Amino acid sequence: MKTEPVLELKNLGVVYKTLTDSVVAVKDVSLSVGINEALGIIGESGSGKSTLFYAIMNYLSGNGSRSGEIIFKGEDLMGKSAQEMTAYRGSKIAMVYQNPYSSLNPSLTIGFQLEEVSMFHHGMTRPQARKAAIEVLTDLYLGDAAGIIKRYPHQISGGMQQRICIAMALLCRPDLMILDEPTTALDVTTEAVILDIIAELKNKYNMSLIYISHDIGVVNKVSDRIAVMYRGEVVEFGDQKIIYKTPKHPYTRALINCMPRAGVVKEDSRLNTIPGYVTRRSAAETGCPFVNRCEKRNDTCLDNYGMVEREPGRFSACDRAYATDIPEKELKAAKGHLPEGEDPEHKTVLKIQNLKKHYGHTGRRVRALDGVDLSLDRNNVLGVVGESGCGKSTMGHTVSGLMKPTSGKVIFDGKDISVSWKKRSPEVLREIQLIFQNPGRSLNPSFTIESIIGRPMEKLLGIKSKQERRKLIVDLLKKVDLGAEYLSRRPKQLSGGEMQRVAVARAFSISPHLLVCDEPTSALDASVQASVLNLLVDLQKESGASYIFISHDLNVINYLSDYIMVMYLGRIVEYGLKDEVAGSPGHPYTEALLSAVPDVDPSLKKGSIRLEGSPPNPTKKIRGCPFAGRCHRKIGDICDSTPPPRVDVTGTHFAFCHLPPGTMRTVIADKGI
Amino acid sequence: MKNWFLQFKQNPRGIVGLAVLLLWIFAALAGPAFLTHTYTGMDMESQLTGPGVNGHLLGTDALGRDVFSRIIYGSRSILTIALMTSLLSSIAGIIIGFTAGYFGGTVDTVFLRIMDILMAIPPLVLSMVVLGILGNSTIFGLTIIVSLAYTPATARVARGALLTCKGNEYVDAARIRGESHLYIMFIEILPNTIGPVIVEITARFAYSIMMIASLGFLGVGLQPPTPDWGMMVIENKSLILEAPWTVLYPSLAIASLVIAVSLFSDFISKVMIHEN
Repeated sequence: MKTEPVLELKNLGVVYKTLTDSVVAVKDVSLSVGINEALGIIGESGSGKSTLFYAIMNYLSGNGSRSGEIIFKGEDLMGKSAQEMTAYRGSKIAMVYQNPYSSLNPSLTIGFQLEEVSMFHHGMTRPQARKAAIEVLTDLYLGDAAGIIKRYPHQISGGMQQRICIAMALLCRPDLMILDEPTTALDVTTEAVILDIIAELKNKYNMSLIYISHDIGVVNKVSDRIAVMYRGEVVEFGDQKIIYKTPKHPYTRALINCMPRAGVVKEDSRLNTIPGYVTRRSAAETGCPFVNRCEKRNDTCLDNYGMVEREPGRFSACDRAYATDIPEKELKAAKGHLPEGEDPEHKTVLKIQNLKKHYGHTGRRVRALDGVDLSLDRNNVLGVVGESGCGKSTMGHTVSGLMKPTSGKVIFDGKDISVSWKKRSPEVLREIQLIFQNPGRSLNPSFTIESIIGRPMEKLLGIKSKQERRKLIVDLLKKVDLGAEYLSRRPKQLSGGEMQRVAVARAFSISPHLLVCDEPTSALDASVQASVLNLLVDLQKESGASYIFISHDLNVINYLSDYIMVMYLGRIVEYGLKDEVAGSPGHPYTEALLSAVPDVDPSLKKGSIRLEGSPPNPTKKIRGCPFAGRCHRKIGDICDSTPPPRVDVTGTHFAFCHLPPGTMRTVIADKGI
Repeated sequence: MKNWFLQFKQNPRGIVGLAVLLLWIFAALAGPAFLTHTYTGMDMESQLTGPGVNGHLLGTDALGRDVFSRIIYGSRSILTIALMTSLLSSIAGIIIGFTAGYFGGTVDTVFLRIMDILMAIPPLVLSMVVLGILGNSTIFGLTIIVSLAYTPATARVARGALLTCKGNEYVDAARIRGESHLYIMFIEILPNTIGPVIVEITARFAYSIMMIASLGFLGVGLQPPTPDWGMMVIENKSLILEAPWTVLYPSLAIASLVIAVSLFSDFISKVMIHEN
């Protein structure tokens, strides 16, 4: 970069003093961001990526201290007092945070909050400020800008709220905008729209961007260059495409291989896992931060370490990612076995017929599930995907018995189980298990791991002897890669990944035939997610159980499903084999979802479909197709007035759409998606 | 345990509270063995003697009874009743509050309204009325009535504690393996609400002491000749100018115990917050 950088960090460090010791949160970070450049920062939780930018803005808490240099447009921010920093915060460097709902004041109108910005930073009068606010909102593609500024934050959707936060940042006309995971809390379709807008506005306003995220795919969409952080240090820094293709640092390579991504499916390959977990870095520690978990480590890792410019503009602290002196780890998929003596009569394990779940009273009736039919065979994984509020969790909870359906049937192994858990027999309870999203909440903090896993055995399998149970529990723990020393621990002493493994072990403690996984990895970091997904795939292959795997993440669904079901507003919009749905979608909604998924590989360019708005109000009865209001392929009035027919694309693949079968495929071919 | 020591170091007031409380418990358990006077014994030679005269450490009252002995003996009844009360009202409160919160809906509404009605009557008035009707206050009767008066408040605390845990998915996990309601309420949820419950029990302990002393003061507490701190204050009220010790020392006893328990209760709640 020839021009002077907007922001330059030189050996920035942050140390927190605690009662007992000092913790290094950021160490020796040197980065630069040029004019109109977008820098992406990737790192797992605890890598110090947010702390780094709190340090720039001098927002650290009292026990944090900084070292190094922060040069912003030629001025050193390090020496500035808190008073002097106010001239930079907002007006020169703006920040957008993860949770828009807590960034906006719920008791002031959006207009008031936007106007305040221009009035404070640019001394505008209120009418001038209002004009500026409407202008920015129009730039952000918020249709009815004049209407929105009269509303309160809770009256608009999360995606809109985040756009308001971005508008606030833009109103300051900053030279640099820092976005800290701005789309993590949003749906994938909303995320795609916001990422698009951010990339567009960067050029329009001639700003520089720093985009912080844990998701390589998201960072890829907006950034020119990428810095990878691990335990407070930048381990690699350079052009995004090159980093993806030829990572130099073993951590970067390991992280990329952890991600479920295009072309990686359970049939061929396991996901990479990184052994161990992120620990706090003490001040005394030197050398490579990754050394304890690295597969390619050698004797030089502790002394001979530091960022080196390997190629022009390409920095990395290590170049042993593909070192040949240490053999590569085998990532081949394990073979599954089909349960022998399969009775074709009992091939179907679960059948759902016209399942409905409604909440509320007549008049304000929320149709969470509105007529779902499906059947699931033994030894199959059904991936259920859709935006939040599409009813995917409700379906999982109805199958597992947490709630009773309003109408319709759930038939398991030929038995009608459309009742709640209270009325299910122990035999049925034993056959269906549920894995929850948040292991911190699904494991009782008062119990030891032994009693958490042992209780279902005692209750549902009737194993009364403690010794016998303990033996089985130790075996199970081994299967989920945990040792016998975990028996007496409590959930609080475990990391997030370990907790989810215990939850998986609990689910498998009674060898169920059907496992409902409700977003089991969405709360986990990429490397931890990979190990849990591998585990779920292995256990599935080994036990021959069927899964209903619910997730909002199509990459994950694509990795481990056999069938994919796409839901929208309580209904199925498309169902089929994985390759059919992901390869040639039969419904415009699936097409939009697929195009919105952020790709880990930056060279994959997809046609982007901007899916505006949010699903319609579930309390309203919809006569036509529920997706009609947002559909980019809407034919005409028929979509609004007539329920779409079921179109069978192949014997296993169907969609509910008025489009004549085959149209989508040809269009997709034209677009080169 | 390490945590508790750390906390004690940081909270000297907690140590003071615990020390005074332990002193009173020791006095109640072992105190009478060291006493030279009985609590009913009337020393006709020295009525209303000041502290320190004729071997009466804290003086005597109008009947010549030793104030110190009466205070020590009095600590037995007040500590017993207060301890029983705080335990009983907490247990009843947990059962009622948990049932209401766990089942929700109509059960919750009915329970809450009944509790509201009971809470609308001040506990002291409620106890006075009931005791007045019964006419005869024993340790057992007092315990039951004061517990009853405090149950609505503890039930609300228990219900609130349950509600914060009820939404956790470990409850769902227990449901779909077919656990009974009782198992979920008392084995899955109760251990996780133990923090607020223990805080409630200790706070209730302090309240109970006040209540029992007040009832004694109002004449509906334990009946003579059983020594009762509250009663000692009211008996000698008219002598406050001539023989202030007869009123001052029982009052100090009440105050020291209540303050000690309150300080200890504050400390417990701090530890519990820290642990969660």
